[in-house]
Amino acid sequence: MSTDPLLRLEDVAVHFENEAGLLTDESEVVQAVDGLSLSIEENDVVSLVGESGCGKTTLGKTAIGLQRPTAGRVTYRGHDIWSVRDGESDADLSWQEIRQSLQIIHQDPGSSLNPNRRILSILSEPLRQVNPELGTSERRERIYSLLERVGMSPAQDFADRYPHQLSGGEQQRVVLSRALLMNPDVILADEAISALDVSLRVEMMDLMLELQAVFDTSYIFISHDLSNARYFTQHGDGKIGVMYLGQLAEVGPAEQLIEDPQHPYTSVLRWATPDLAAVDTPPQELPMRKIDVPDPIDPPSGCRFHTRCPEAREHCRQTDPKPVPAEESSVRCFRAQSTSPYWDSEPLEEND
Amino acid sequence: MSISSDVLNEPQDRDAIIRMDDVSVTYDSGDSYVLDDVSLAIERNEIIGIVGESGSGKSMLASSLLDAVPDPGQLSGSVEYRPVQDQNVEVLALEDSELRALRWEEISMVFQGAMSSFNPTMKIKEHFIETLEAHNAPVETGLNRAHELLEDLYLKPGRVLGSYPHELSGGMQQRALIALSLVLEPDVLVMDEPTAALDLLMQQSILLLLRELREKYDLTMVFITHDLPLVASLADRLAVMYAFELVELGPASEVINTPTHPYTRALLNATPNLNAPLSEMRPVKGKSPAPINVPSGCSYHPRCPLDTEECRTNHPPADPVTPEHTAACFHWEEARTEISLNYAETGTNDGDWR
Ligand code: SF4
Ligand code: SF4
Repeated sequence: MSTDPLLRLEDVAVHFENEAGLLTDESEVVQAVDGLSLSIEENDVVSLVGESGCGKTTLGKTAIGLQRPTAGRVTYRGHDIWSVRDGESDADLSWQEIRQSLQIIHQDPGSSLNPNRRILSILSEPLRQVNPELGTSERRERIYSLLERVGMSPAQDFADRYPHQLSGGEQQRVVLSRALLMNPDVILADEAISALDVSLRVEMMDLMLELQAVFDTSYIFISHDLSNARYFTQHGDGKIGVMYLGQLAEVGPAEQLIEDPQHPYTSVLRWATPDLAAVDTPPQELPMRKIDVPDPIDPPSGCRFHTRCPEAREHCRQTDPKPVPAEESSVRCFRAQSTSPYWDSEPLEEND
Repeated sequence: MSISSDVLNEPQDRDAIIRMDDVSVTYDSGDSYVLDDVSLAIERNEIIGIVGESGSGKSMLASSLLDAVPDPGQLSGSVEYRPVQDQNVEVLALEDSELRALRWEEISMVFQGAMSSFNPTMKIKEHFIETLEAHNAPVETGLNRAHELLEDLYLKPGRVLGSYPHELSGGMQQRALIALSLVLEPDVLVMDEPTAALDLLMQQSILLLLRELREKYDLTMVFITHDLPLVASLADRLAVMYAFELVELGPASEVINTPTHPYTRALLNATPNLNAPLSEMRPVKGKSPAPINVPSGCSYHPRCPLDTEECRTNHPPADPVTPEHTAACFHWEEARTEISLNYAETGTNDGDWR
């Protein structure tokens, strides 16, 4: 067997072309993901956190082959997935097999379930694809037992319902079950718990992690909420990647990243995470120089965070801090580099 | 606006700006309650967080404040608005035209998802002008105020006013909507999940700005959300709803540091946070009831680890825990010892409210 990771992204970039339209006369290029590398192992959990528009969804979709990168490579067990797709690979593996082993669940489960079909029929489909030899009654048995397993019992009753007869949490369980029935190696959970009430999130995360062990799968877990990412990642013994404007600002094991953030942006996300123990000392001041994210069409020079970073200095405006990998982590900030000219450079003024 | 007013004489009353008394909302000719006998005094200049899960009745509470319950809901009880201390307007008795005036000029509302509140074919500026004109307010003065409000919300007024809604990010739209809701100088701002569609960093940033707006414009704010940890640090007081009722009410720091109702304690334990040991976060067992079959007695009893015969038959009234803090539970004292919390609890001593 090879030592290739399950999935590897090598220096991946995704640039979208915005068509020239009503409001702009020139077409613009959005740099959704820019030169990013990341690996996902078997039974791994990798969480991606960051603001809306930081590129985490694009990165996730690129990792599972739903988005073609404009540069770089995505490999699955050592094989470039887009070469397989284009028929240019000598791998003993089809595009269909790759797509089948890389599944996604979305934030809004309702929209990914066919409203006109009962749950039984929705869940039969993946089974028919993966296990065509199963008979009808066997298929039904498997679906019932999975429904029981995800807490939807009596299974027979739930199997007969239509999606709109389920709560949001139940719909999400169906979507998760459908993904698991494909026997995937990786499930991309894109804000999969964000639409659920706060009180239901732990339960859903627990379920996903329990089933990880049963189905032998890895997760890419996308969230804008660091406390959810912490819960999920730490239970799954994985790592968290903090994204900013299409790049990874910091990657590390969950606890280390949260307890001892190295990148100023990670600290900002920490600030934004409600802390019940600190109810008497509410956050006082915005820990950034600006509220809004810069436009990804024209990302800032140097360090992309320099327009908002509370620690930014002149050097950050001119030079891009390359990621510095350590044992299990990586940080893209001059402050993690003790000999950087950053330390001798002048702080940036308010509006730079 | 002109609203008829009565002089009210209730010396023991705190300075409430809105008082709800025994407010209920029913459907199906009274068979199903979506708001059950809620009494709540919203104090002048406070920020009160109304917290509940989906389907707990929290949005219905917001709608009843402005007599805006969707048809065919039946609203009963009394909602008094007190623009100044000794003036008293019974909201549920207002004519339609008076109600329209009240809704923007006195009590303003912001809902989740600015996209659906803005007309996509109109620039932001036109929304301000339309609102000002509809209320016969001078447009120029109003636009000056809009400029100031947008700046207060860290937006570039020129750019935002000249944009169509879709040209702004979600966070900018939601802030523009808050500015719009304040352009007629209301006293009260009612917000229903105003930040739920945004990422956490933008949510916290908006919360910070709301605090500043409250100071600057002497506002009273009602913040309705399912997200207890989020609103906990913003609100002065928290009201927790379960199954269409208020189950706990008190200063935010007491409700978080010494939560009392078994449901509040379970809810807090179910909340992922950055510090609690992971092994001690656990979901709230069971499901919230639907409006048609709310359990008898205490509606939480089927899920409550402390329920007794009394809970199953009698309805627990709001019991004072401290002078400022109430919990609708027969056994709240036991709850504090029997249901442990996953984060540091302080001052568990009953009556220790400092
Ligand atoms: S490199 Fe400079 S601007 Fe970038 S995060 Fe570090 S200190 Fe801030
Ligand atoms: S009244 Fe009884 S059932 Fe209701 S919350 Fe209190 S202990 Fe539990």
